[in-house]
Amino acid sequence: MEPHIRSAFDKDLEGVQALVMKMGGLVEHALLRAAEALEKRDEALAEEIRQGDRAIDELEDLVNVECARIIALRAPTASDLRTVLTVMRIVASLERSGDYAKNLAKRSLVLAQMRPINGANGSIARMARSVVGLLKDSLDAYITRDLSLAQDVRNRDAEVDQMYNALFREFLTHMMEDPRNITACMHLHFIAKNIERVGDHATGIAEQVIYLVSGTAPADDRPKNDLTSLPISETNS
Amino acid sequence: MKDINIEERVVSDHKVKITARGVQVHYGTTHALKDVDVDILSGTVTAFIGPSGCGKSTFLRCLNRMNDTVSSARVSGSILLDGEDIYDKRVDPVQLRAKVGMVFQKPNPFPKSIYDNVAYGPKIHGLTRSKAELDAIVESSLKKAALWNEVKDRLAAPGTGLSGGQQQRLCIARAIATSPEVLLMDEPCSALDPIATAQVEELIDELRSQFSVVIVTHSMQQAARVSQRTAFFHLGHLVEYGETGQVFTTPKDPRTESYITGRIG
Repeated sequence: MEPHIRSAFDKDLEGVQALVMKMGGLVEHALLRAAEALEKRDEALAEEIRQGDRAIDELEDLVNVECARIIALRAPTASDLRTVLTVMRIVASLERSGDYAKNLAKRSLVLAQMRPINGANGSIARMARSVVGLLKDSLDAYITRDLSLAQDVRNRDAEVDQMYNALFREFLTHMMEDPRNITACMHLHFIAKNIERVGDHATGIAEQVIYLVSGTAPADDRPKNDLTSLPISETNS
Repeated sequence: MKDINIEERVVSDHKVKITARGVQVHYGTTHALKDVDVDILSGTVTAFIGPSGCGKSTFLRCLNRMNDTVSSARVSGSILLDGEDIYDKRVDPVQLRAKVGMVFQKPNPFPKSIYDNVAYGPKIHGLTRSKAELDAIVESSLKKAALWNEVKDRLAAPGTGLSGGQQQRLCIARAIATSPEVLLMDEPCSALDPIATAQVEELIDELRSQFSVVIVTHSMQQAARVSQRTAFFHLGHLVEYGETGQVFTTPKDPRTESYITGRIG
């Protein structure tokens, strides 16, 4: 799109979007490293991720202040208005995702004191990498205004749901095998659920891209594969 | 509990007041307005926006035949007010302008008393039979223009002695004294300070229950604030016409988008 006559307006809009991308980078990093801390039982790394969440929260505050300024001073309309609105929603999603990374790090500290569950940490790290891929693509779609990539992210969230379903069953099995696994498995299950939630946030960001580019939110239901809220008998059939 | 009507700006069920079809205006060799089709609704504020020279004022002036007074102007196409062609030979432009009133950019009260400014129109159109009737029209017009309380004790004072915002409201009172059906406003707030602007905008919103209001404004924010329908003109074309919220959030035409977001002048 051509530049504004008032170039300061362009600078303001580019500024907040740059902050979003910076925040996205921090969240992706936190998720990957938190999963790594879990996998390697690295308590120092987990502690570092916990502390790092503050920077993500501060970025969100900064973006919200900047957006309020743009709305008050520049009265954005049309695609400019959608840019500001989507920026505000995206940073809310990123902030929440950052919280999940922090929570993952916190639980990994607890889990490091317990007997490891076979294979679980590796599966969770794989799931985290997959979700970070979604998050990264949704932000790339945002900055390049790429509708087809945004659609692709929406569709790929089903894969994350599938990984979560598999983990859910795996944890059930471990808990039924040996009740001493229950505490660890409960923590691992919350971690898996939270990572799955990050996938939902990535999908939400992709939907913001669709709204930003097209002016309307996507109407069709996206594919979902989270079956764990259904009765067990149905998920096994 | 009463439901809050968030769709109060929706006026799509209102009747069409003015129908314009294929309106073209030439000033000498300049083609100022090109094939404009538009339906202006009753009980609605319609804003015309667009860069200078886009044709919005030209079109506004077609609606009460003000272009008749410009010798080089040629108007073609049809403009119907309640289904009747206002360019029909049998239509008296002076009578038409009593029905389609106009308020201009700069407040231009007559060099007469406040009372006479408002009484002038009803007098020359012979709308009243007695002094008492005229008094009543002056009072109700000044009340509708939200000026009554400020001037009721000095109706004999000259209209030119009022502040700019008061003068503009006096001009609005003068325009509505002849009970028009449509009120045309050509940048009515461009000479006013923000408070006077807010008062006039509030007034415009109140007036729309009785008149169709058509306002030309250079302030897009004003268009967004006061109107229910917005028409965007560019280079003599009516580019887009729609519900104001839609035009300002999801304009259909890329030229509208560029203009309202401040990318083209």
